[in-house]
Amino acid sequence: MDRSSFAGRALSVVLSASLLGLFVLPLVALVFFAGPGGLAFGFENAGFRTALEFTLLTSAIAVGIGVVTGVPLGYLLARYRFPGKGLVQSIVSLPVVVPHLVVGIALLLLFAPTNPVGTYTASLGLPIFNGIWGVVLVMVYVGAAYVVLTSEIAFRAVDPEVLEAARSLGANPSEAFATVTLPAAARGIATGALLMWARGISEVGGFLILAASVYPSLPWAGPVTQPASVWIYGYWQINPGDAAGASAVLVLVALLIFLGVRFFDRTGLGWLRGGGIT
Amino acid sequence: MNGLELEELRTGQGGFSVGPVSLAIPSGTATVLLGPSGAGKTTLLRAIAGFLPLQHGEVLVDERPVGAAPPEARRFGFVPPNLGLFPQRRVRDNVRYPLELRGDPEADSKTDRWLARFGLEPLARAFPHTLSSGQRQRVAMARALAAEPRVLLWDEPLSALDVESRDSLIRLLRDLIESEAVPLLLVTHDPTTAFALASRVVVLEGGRIRADRTPEELARGPLDRFLARFLGYENLYTSAELAGARTHPLGALLADRGGAGGLAIPPDAIAWQPGPAGPHEARVAALRWTAAGWVVALRHGPLVLHSRVPGAVPGVRVGDTVTLHVDPHRLRPLENPTGEAAP
Repeated sequence: MDRSSFAGRALSVVLSASLLGLFVLPLVALVFFAGPGGLAFGFENAGFRTALEFTLLTSAIAVGIGVVTGVPLGYLLARYRFPGKGLVQSIVSLPVVVPHLVVGIALLLLFAPTNPVGTYTASLGLPIFNGIWGVVLVMVYVGAAYVVLTSEIAFRAVDPEVLEAARSLGANPSEAFATVTLPAAARGIATGALLMWARGISEVGGFLILAASVYPSLPWAGPVTQPASVWIYGYWQINPGDAAGASAVLVLVALLIFLGVRFFDRTGLGWLRGGGIT
Repeated sequence: MNGLELEELRTGQGGFSVGPVSLAIPSGTATVLLGPSGAGKTTLLRAIAGFLPLQHGEVLVDERPVGAAPPEARRFGFVPPNLGLFPQRRVRDNVRYPLELRGDPEADSKTDRWLARFGLEPLARAFPHTLSSGQRQRVAMARALAAEPRVLLWDEPLSALDVESRDSLIRLLRDLIESEAVPLLLVTHDPTTAFALASRVVVLEGGRIRADRTPEELARGPLDRFLARFLGYENLYTSAELAGARTHPLGALLADRGGAGGLAIPPDAIAWQPGPAGPHEARVAALRWTAAGWVVALRHGPLVLHSRVPGAVPGVRVGDTVTLHVDPHRLRPLENPTGEAAP
């Protein structure tokens, strides 16, 4: 290795390590600050556990809605030309750039219980303000764009010749989509769903405005609770050490889910796709 | 007629139109669609397969029209240029795919049979991206045949292969189209593949049929300048060039044998030996190495003749004088030039 390539590699290692350090060190600080007592609190406190269960439930519902609505939109954007396509793509990207406090305010203005839309949704059994569907709505709003964008990229990457081959082998358009396009795009869609889920559980601003406290309504039959991030934010004012412990537990749960998805990707998803991911 | 027929078919894409094309390919025979890039070969094949609408005319299989049917209803084994293998499926699952689609109860045994026929059993669990070009071609062909197609449409299936793999696949293909009694329409820009496989060769240029002949007719029958150039004749002379060479003895001989469009001479019809010996003398103007051997450019009066020399040593240098021998039986008089004006 010559001197300049060694220097280049050393520089890239230092820069990469700096960024990784920035990712990891605050979490280390969190664990140290919480100490054994704070971590025990995070694992044992019933209120936080309820908030965590609520967050996992709402994020799962939100990801389901995001995938069901976002994948078809990603497919349309990848495969078709239509008037206003650029505008649609800009609208899809909007939630990524709008401050989430603003998202909360905008959703509250639309779904406030005092206006007709809010009254109507409540009458359908879908309470938005301080209700579980408000939390789901915020999660979909701030996260579904990731599903749309990654599935658009994934569908775009599917070779049209592969689809033509499937058609000429006897597959009608729906069968070709189900047996060729969707499996080929599955990894991109899964990545988008994971990003959406991560974005949902890390949200704070929108929840603070629209659903800081959540009262029971289907499908949440538990006690009054809060999204985990809001619960931690509230507890930070009371006992920072315990709030840090709860934060560490939230990070751990998120990490376990990420590792679980990766493991599934290496083993189970390959089977779903009719082949392995190498 | 049993087989594929195209009746006055016209199609197009992006402002480029192809046709009218009329062809008949009996079952158990191969027709090769030959032509330079941009001639419309792939557009025509995609229209026959049902991926482009017909502007006029009809596609018939065993005398039944299928031009309005969607691609999946035609049962045409279409293999696109990049083969269209399913990247997430193993070789076996690729071949099994058409059998799965129609719920064939014998899918497993039929898959095994096609894998064996193409020598793919050891690769059954491999993914397409791990295969060589030749192996990928075999998977695509096995999969297309597993669909029990009524017609085979293959677009440049042998283009990425080395000579040995190509020849072995051509042999296999000839056996298969006979044993399966299907018509094959194969697109290529490679005349060697066309001559080795086809019972008819259709040459397309600018979206229109330029020639529809047997390989024998193409090899021995009349040619025009476009066909001669496309078939690889390096020595092409217009009538005017030949007339200008009449002052030289060999030039006069060639001018006498030329047609209205001039004359084509295959490089291996021109032999030479070092040293001057009489009127058929030429000077070495250039030497060029190709995979098939040396090409020696020999100047005789105003004409430059290219001769191919097998072996690693050309035996002459630029500026040397040689004596030419041209095999008069290999000279190909050219018909009136069409689409290409003689100077």
